[in-house]
Amino acid sequence: MKKYAKQIVEKDNVATCVADINAGDEVYVKIDGQERAYKANAVIPFGHKIAVKAIKTGEFLYKYGEAIGKATQDIAIGDWVHTHNVVDHYEVV
Amino acid sequence: MEFLGYTRPDGQVGARNIVAIIPTVGCVNAVALNIEKLIKGTRAFTHHQGCLHPPQDTETVTRTLINLGKNPNVAAVLVVGLGCEMVDFDRIVEGIKESGKPVQAVKVHDLGGMLETINKGAQLAADMVLEASKLRRTKQGLDKLRFCTKCGSSDTTSGLSSNLVVGEVCRLMTENGGTFVQGEVCDIMGGEYALKNLCVDPAEGDKIINFVKDLYDRGTAVGADVRGSQMTSGNVAGGLTTLIEKAMGANAKGQKVPIQSALEYGSRPMCAGRHIMATPGHGFENLTGGAASGAQLILFTTGRGAPNGHPCIPTVKLCGNSKTNVTMQSHIDVDVASVIEETETVEQAGKRLYEFAVAVASGTLTKAEILNFDGHMEILIKGPVM
Repeated sequence: MKKYAKQIVEKDNVATCVADINAGDEVYVKIDGQERAYKANAVIPFGHKIAVKAIKTGEFLYKYGEAIGKATQDIAIGDWVHTHNVVDHYEVV
Repeated sequence: MEFLGYTRPDGQVGARNIVAIIPTVGCVNAVALNIEKLIKGTRAFTHHQGCLHPPQDTETVTRTLINLGKNPNVAAVLVVGLGCEMVDFDRIVEGIKESGKPVQAVKVHDLGGMLETINKGAQLAADMVLEASKLRRTKQGLDKLRFCTKCGSSDTTSGLSSNLVVGEVCRLMTENGGTFVQGEVCDIMGGEYALKNLCVDPAEGDKIINFVKDLYDRGTAVGADVRGSQMTSGNVAGGLTTLIEKAMGANAKGQKVPIQSALEYGSRPMCAGRHIMATPGHGFENLTGGAASGAQLILFTTGRGAPNGHPCIPTVKLCGNSKTNVTMQSHIDVDVASVIEETETVEQAGKRLYEFAVAVASGTLTKAEILNFDGHMEILIKGPVM
C-alpha cells in the first residue's frame, strides 16, 4: 500500500506523513491533482513532517502557505523535519 | 440550495424552535431545570455566573444572556431570576425583548420560593411552547445562515482534514452571503499575525493581536506561560513542531477568507462574512460564545472524539481520524478521513459538509441532539471570582 504525506498548498516545503515511514520508503504526495514521490532519509512517524523541498539554515518552513518555523540546519529533500532541526520564531508582543 | 427555517420577528431565521429558560444567575438553575423537565419543547440554559463578578464580567454575562435569548433558534424566552443577583434582571429581559419574540419573566424572591416560581414559570412556558409549535419552517436563502466553529479533542488529523474542510465551508458560505464566526484565542496564539493580515480593517487586526496578548498576560498574572500549556509534549510527540504550526492548523477553519471584525465574547457580528470572536478553547464557554453570536449551528472538528453539544445550537461533529470514526461512530456526524486517504479533495468534502450543515439547519438532527448530550453550557468570565 502506498504511503502518503499531506502537503496543504504548493508553496509548502514540508508535508505531513499520514503513515509510519521507514528510512528508504517512497512517500507519495498529492498536490493540485499531481502525485509526486519522495524517498525518506529517516524513520518518520505518523503525523511528523518530511521535507519536500531543500531548506537551508535560517530559512522558513512553510505549511498552510505560512511560515511555521526556522531551520537550524540545512534540511535535504526527504529529511525528517521536527524540533531537532527547526526552531519556533514566535514571540508574544 | 436553500434551507427550511423559522423566521423570527427581527428577520433572523432559526434552525430549531425552542423555548429557552434562561436563569440570570446560577443560584436558580434548579428552577430552570425543573421547568425544563415539566414542559416539552423547552431548554434550560443553565450556567454558574451572574453574581460577585468584577464589573467587566458582569457586563460580559449580561451581554451573553441577552444575545443567547436573541439567538434565532429560540422562539420564546422565560427569564428566571432570584432577586438579588448582580446582573441587571430587567436589562436582560428588555434586551431580549428587542428581538420582538415573546419574553416572560419570573423572580424567586417575588413569588415566594422555588415551588411557586416553578409553578408560575411552567405555566408561562407551556403557553409559549403552544404558540411556538404553531410556527412552520419556510424556504430561506443561504445568506441567512450563520455558523460558528470549534476544534476539540484534536489530533494530527484535525489540521490535515477536518479543519481544512470547515475552511472550505467558510469560503462557500461567505460567498453565498452567510456569516462565519471563529474563535479560540488560545489556538490563535502563534497565528494572530496571519489573521491580522486577513482583516479588511487593520484596527480589527490589532484587536485580534490584543486578544492573544490579554490571554498571555492573564497567564503571566498567575505565574504561567500559556504558550507552554498550549504546546504540549503530546503535541510534539504527535508531530507538531512549533506553536505557529499548531495555530495555523486551527486557523485553517477559515482558510484565507477575509476577516470583517474582531468580536468581544458573546457579541453579535454587525455584517456578513468571517469574524473572529474572543472565545476560549474550553468547550462549554466557547460554544456559548458562538451561540450568542446568533449562529444557528456549530461546525465542531474533532480528532479523538469530543462528544458534547450545546443546549442552544446543534453541533455538527466532523472527524478526519478513520479509527475515531469507527470507535466514536455514535458521536460523529460527518466522516472526512477521505481527505487524508486521498479519496476525496478538501473541496469535495467541504461541499458535502456544507450540504449536511444546511440539512441540519433545516431540521436534520445531530448525534449530540439525539443522545441528549447537549445539556450543559457555561459563560466566560475572566475573574477574579469574589
